[in-house]
Amino acid sequence: MPDKNPYEVLKADVLEVIEESPTIKSFCLKPEKPFEFATGQFLELSLPGIGEAPFTPSSSHYEKEKIWVTIMNAGFVTNEIHKVQKGDVMGIRGPYGKGYPLDKFKGKDVLLLGGGVGLAPLRCLLQTMIHDVKDYRSITVCFGARTPIDMIYQDQIDDWKSVVGVKHCCTVDRCPEGDKWNGKTGVVTVLLDDITIDPKDEIAVVCGPPVMMKFGTFSLLDKGFKPENIYLSMEKKMYCGFGQCRHCVMGKYYACKDGPVFTYEQIKDEEKIWD
Amino acid sequence: MVVSKPDLIKFFNSIQSEFDIFVPHKTEREKDDLVFKKYDPDKEFVLDKYRTVDPVRALFYMPSESVLPPSAKSNKRIIAGVKNCDLLGLAVLDDALLKDNFVEPNYKIWRDSSYIISCDCTDALQTCHCVLLDNNPYPDQDTDGNVLFDLNLSPVDDKYIITVGSKKGEELFSKIKEECTLTETTNSDKEIREANHAEVLKKVRDINSDFTPDRHYDVITDNKEAAVWKEFCNECVQCGACTNICPTCYCLILNDESTKEEFHKVRSWDSCQLVGYAEVAGGGTPREHRWETFRNRYQCKYNFMKSNFDKLGCTGCGRCISACPAEIDLREVIQSLQEV
Repeated sequence: MPDKNPYEVLKADVLEVIEESPTIKSFCLKPEKPFEFATGQFLELSLPGIGEAPFTPSSSHYEKEKIWVTIMNAGFVTNEIHKVQKGDVMGIRGPYGKGYPLDKFKGKDVLLLGGGVGLAPLRCLLQTMIHDVKDYRSITVCFGARTPIDMIYQDQIDDWKSVVGVKHCCTVDRCPEGDKWNGKTGVVTVLLDDITIDPKDEIAVVCGPPVMMKFGTFSLLDKGFKPENIYLSMEKKMYCGFGQCRHCVMGKYYACKDGPVFTYEQIKDEEKIWD
Repeated sequence: MVVSKPDLIKFFNSIQSEFDIFVPHKTEREKDDLVFKKYDPDKEFVLDKYRTVDPVRALFYMPSESVLPPSAKSNKRIIAGVKNCDLLGLAVLDDALLKDNFVEPNYKIWRDSSYIISCDCTDALQTCHCVLLDNNPYPDQDTDGNVLFDLNLSPVDDKYIITVGSKKGEELFSKIKEECTLTETTNSDKEIREANHAEVLKKVRDINSDFTPDRHYDVITDNKEAAVWKEFCNECVQCGACTNICPTCYCLILNDESTKEEFHKVRSWDSCQLVGYAEVAGGGTPREHRWETFRNRYQCKYNFMKSNFDKLGCTGCGRCISACPAEIDLREVIQSLQEV
């Protein structure tokens, strides 16, 4: 049997575009055939003739017909993707990477610590865990953003809170005058102050901008979380997605193939993981 | 078995319609340089001597190729005159591009359709340093006991001892038997081969007599912040020649050349030495300083690839030394680290 071309692309129709914040949009994609992936795995999303970039879907792997991808306008490709409208065609290939080891989370308290557009992969994880909520002892969601208008998925918070077993809290770094905000103010780690948990066997999953990941991890360690129980989603430059372009190499690891989810224990000795 | 040079040429001529044949030729510009060119019965070629200017990798992993759809052609090819440093390079690429769940489509096609006829080195360039890597200037088994050639030629006077290394090699050998008059390898042939090996080995050792042959690559990890990196990188202009010329580098960038009707992706060589290589959208990069970029090539070749493939990413071909416009010699870099 001939080997499958790892660059093979599936056409995906854009069914809906939601403006989540001034810099972040979510795109609902319908692939030409169901796209199987595991929660936390990523795909390469391409805009024909422009380029492609890696994203972890922001919807659960239980939904294979329609995939949501939440994207911040941060560079050349994402700027072009932000111009995409309902009815346009994009391409997806993948899935790549290992995703979250959900089996290891089962029966435990799971804390999701996210910042900015880092909430996207965590929403995928949260939706997957809510689907099987009884499998987890508890789910605590701590989300942060720079200002209230940067906080994405606000319209879904009530739905999440209504699920028995899910706690949700959020914070913004600052609230400009005139903006409405009922939550806390301060960087996302302030949310950890209010959490009373036994960190010995608790899982923490962190995703966000590098500086947030760094200080989030340090705060979790201070609270007593074990390095092997802190899961980090590493953002590195990637082209291929499967360990051949070498751009995402972190010492002996490839962020794409061996990650993008790593425990802090795995990568703590690698160089410059936070840059 | 032994084949004469005229008979080997007869063999090449006889299979030209079936195979695209590539052999090293001298260049007009630099008399010592050898480059792979398509076989031409009217042009003189050089099977022995030393490595070519370009790595043989360039015939299997082209500077720019469409990967969707794959552009490689499955015409049968013979690449003759390949040296051990290039065989070892292909072994690294095989591990990187074929042995995982994801198979590089073009490399696979080129590799499957190619027959490799290697040849012992009979001479060495000033940059050759395979011996510092515990490699020999003639093919032998790799560290896993694998033979990396299909056929090998060991020059003995004006003849070659043929060694068959694979099924593909057997296929070629049976064709050679049809076209050529082969003779049994005599003890004298074997003695000459051994003497040639010893001679070329001595030559490469003499070239590298200033460098410690017993190298420890943990010096790179142990001296990550050493001044050595900063000193050597002062002259580096980040042109990427060292990586483009390397037999084991395979970093790529992907360009999307899709139209509305069809997805089309083109893969091109990239280099970790180029500005912006690891930079993500938003400007973050794990290698902020030029010396960290410079150091990355050494970490990749001697540490990362070793842990990825259990093989060093340096085969000792010395092409990066020859290609460097700043005349940076990686042997000196490693030597300086050993002496830190």
